[in-house]
Amino acid sequence: MALVLHSGSGNKNAFKALIAAEYTGVKVELTKNFEMGVSNKTPEFLKMNPLGKIPVLETPDGAVFESNAIARYVARLKDNNSLCGSSLIEYAHIEQWIDFSATEVDANIGRWLYPRLGFVPHVPVHEEHAIASLKRSLGALNTHLASNTYLVGHSVTLADIVMTCNLYFGFVRILTKSFTSEFPHVERYLWTMVNQPNFKKVIGEVKQAESVPPVQKKAAAPKEPKAKEVKKEAPKEAPKPKVEAPEEEEAPKPKPKNALDLLPPSKMILDEWKRLYSNTKTNFREIAIKGFWDMYDPEGYSLWFCNYKYNDENTVSFVTMNKVGGFLQRMDLCRKYAFGKMLVIGSTPPFKVKGLWLFRGQDIPKFVMDEVYDMELYEWTKVDLSDEAQKERVNAMIEDQEPFEGEELLDAKCFNVRMSGKCHANDLHTIGPRFSFHPLPRAAINPQLPTPANPLSDLYSAGVFAAAADLVSRLLSI
Amino acid sequence: MALVLHSGSGNKNAFKALIAAEYTGVKVELVKNFEMGVSNKTPEFLKMNPLGKIPVLETPDGAVFESNAIARYVARLKDNNSLCGSSLIEYGHIEQWIDFSATEVDANIARWLYPRLGFGGPHVPVLEEFAITSLKRSLGALNTHLAANTYLVGHSVTLADIVMTCNLYLGFVRILTKSFTSEFPHVERYLWTMAQKERVNAMIEDQEPFEGEELLDAKCFK
Repeated sequence: MALVLHSGSGNKNAFKALIAAEYTGVKVELTKNFEMGVSNKTPEFLKMNPLGKIPVLETPDGAVFESNAIARYVARLKDNNSLCGSSLIEYAHIEQWIDFSATEVDANIGRWLYPRLGFVPHVPVHEEHAIASLKRSLGALNTHLASNTYLVGHSVTLADIVMTCNLYFGFVRILTKSFTSEFPHVERYLWTMVNQPNFKKVIGEVKQAESVPPVQKKAAAPKEPKAKEVKKEAPKEAPKPKVEAPEEEEAPKPKPKNALDLLPPSKMILDEWKRLYSNTKTNFREIAIKGFWDMYDPEGYSLWFCNYKYNDENTVSFVTMNKVGGFLQRMDLCRKYAFGKMLVIGSTPPFKVKGLWLFRGQDIPKFVMDEVYDMELYEWTKVDLSDEAQKERVNAMIEDQEPFEGEELLDAKCFNVRMSGKCHANDLHTIGPRFSFHPLPRAAINPQLPTPANPLSDLYSAGVFAAAADLVSRLLSI
Repeated sequence: MALVLHSGSGNKNAFKALIAAEYTGVKVELVKNFEMGVSNKTPEFLKMNPLGKIPVLETPDGAVFESNAIARYVARLKDNNSLCGSSLIEYGHIEQWIDFSATEVDANIARWLYPRLGFGGPHVPVLEEFAITSLKRSLGALNTHLAANTYLVGHSVTLADIVMTCNLYLGFVRILTKSFTSEFPHVERYLWTMAQKERVNAMIEDQEPFEGEELLDAKCFK
C-alpha cells in the first residue's frame, strides 16, 4: 500500500521524501488535487498536523510532518539501506549534515528569498545579514566538499538528498552563477547530485537563476500557487501578512464600532482640514495655517508631539525615512481619525525624527496604541495650546518650516491626505531639489518590472509609497 | 572513555546531549576551559567543525556538530533505550518533534530574542512582530498536541522531549513572560513538568519565568 504525501507538486520539501523513496523502493505517492491554502486547512488535515503546514506523510500507523522527519522515516522503512550510513558515526554525520542544511542553508536562503517574494517585509540590512550568514555556511560546506564527493561516506546518503533539495531550491530561485562561483565545490556537488537518475526523476530539469528576484510588494492575497507551493516549514516562513488573515479565521467578524464614532459630534471635520492642507499651494501660513486654527475644535480633537526615542540609531538617511514610511503605513487604520506630519531633521546623521499628530478625541486612541507597535518607539506629549511657543511649533511642523529648530529638514511626510476623492497614504512632500530620492522608481508603478540595482528603489518598492501613477505625476509636478 | 563536548557552560544546545547522556548512561564531559570566540576558532576546532560553531562532540571515531545530531548520536550509543521510540512510527514522530522544535520554536524565539540582545541581525520591529506571530502559531499547535499528550511521543520521555524542553527553556527564561505563555497552558505544564525531572533539573538548575521583558530594550545593548 502506497504512502500518501500531502503537498503541492514542485515542493522541494516533498522532493526529499520522494527521492528517498526512489532509493529505498518504497512507494510514496503525492496526494491528488492538493490545493494550497485549502486542503491543508481542513479539520482532517489539522488532525494530522495542527500547524497546517506541508508536506505531511500519511501512513497506516499515523501521520508525520516536518519534511526531514518524513524523509528519515521513509529511508528507514527499508532495513539496511545505504541512505542511513553503515556505522553509528556515519549515522551521526548524516544527521549533522541534515541539520546543517536546515539551519544554515535553508534558513538563510529563506531569509534572503522570502522577503523578496513578498511573504515577509523586505529589510535591506536584514537581507545583508542573511547573505553574509549564507556565505559563511556555504564556505564551510565548500571546505568539506573540497575533499569529499558526498557529504558522508562514499555514496549518496539521506544527508545528500536533503542538502541537495535545499541547495537546488536556492540555485533556481536566487543564487546566481556569480554568487555560487565563490563555492566551486558546492557547485560541482549540486550539479552532480541533481543529475543522479533518482534525483532527476523527481526534480526534473534544473536551471540556475539568472538574477536575484526583485523585491515584490507585500502580496495582497498571496494565493499565487507557485509561490505558495515552495513555501515550506522553513524557519523564516512568513506567518502570512495581515491582509491574508481573513482566510485563516473561522468567519469574518462584523467590524466593531470604533469608540471614536461614539464621541459627541465635533464642529471640526477632519476631511475639510485635509482638503485645505493639500489644496493650499501658496500663502500657506495665511490660508492653511489660519484655516486650521479657525476650524480646530480643542474638545473634539487633540494635538500631540511625538519624538522618536532612538534617534541615535538613525545613521542612514534612507533607512530612517523608510522607518517613518513604515510607521505611516501602519497608521493607516486610523486614517479617518487622524492627521499627522513626520519630519526627519538634520543634514548629517544621526537624524532626528519628530512628528505632530492630530487625533480625534482627547487621548491618543487606544486602538492605535494597541495595533501600531511603532507608537511605543516615540515619546508622546500633548500640545499645550496656551503655550505660544508650542502653538508656533505646531505651525512650523504643519508647514515644514525650514530651518526647523535650527536644522535642515531631510524629509517631511504627511499622513494620509485625501486628494480629489482618492486616498494617498504616505503622501510625500518634496521640500526642495535637495531631495535625493527623485524620481520615483518604476517598480512603484509596475511591480513586475525588474528594478534597477538601486538600494533606494528597493526600499521604496517595498511599500513606502502607494503604487499609484497619479501620485507619481503629482510629485513630479510639485 | 568519556566523550568530550566542546561548549561553554549554560549552553542550552549542549544541554540536549548532556541530558540524553544522563538517560542512556553514556559518559559525556564538557570540555574544560572553553573560551567562546577563541577555543572555537583554532585550526584544530575548525577541522572538527568548519563553521566554528558550538557545541561539537569529539568521539574516538570523529567529531559531530549540530546539537540535535549530537543528541541523536548520544541517544543511540546505547541500544534499545526508551529515548528513541519503540517502533518506526514512534521514531518518525520523535524526529518530527525534534525538527518542529528547531524550525518552529527555536527559530522564532531566536528571531525575537537575539536582535534584542544585539546579535543575529539588527532589531527590526516589523520582523519581530512576524517572529512573535509565528511563535504564537507554533506554540498554539504544540499546545493542541500537548492537551492530549503528557509527552511528545508515547508515554515516557524521548529525545523529542529533551530537545523541545531545552529550546522552550531558553525562551521561558530569557523572553517569554508568564502573560505570554499563559495563552498556552499545556505548553507551560509540559515545560515545568520536564524541568522538574531529576535528570533535566540537574542540568538546567531552577529558573524562574522571565519577568522583565522590558529590560531587553534593544537600545541597552548597543
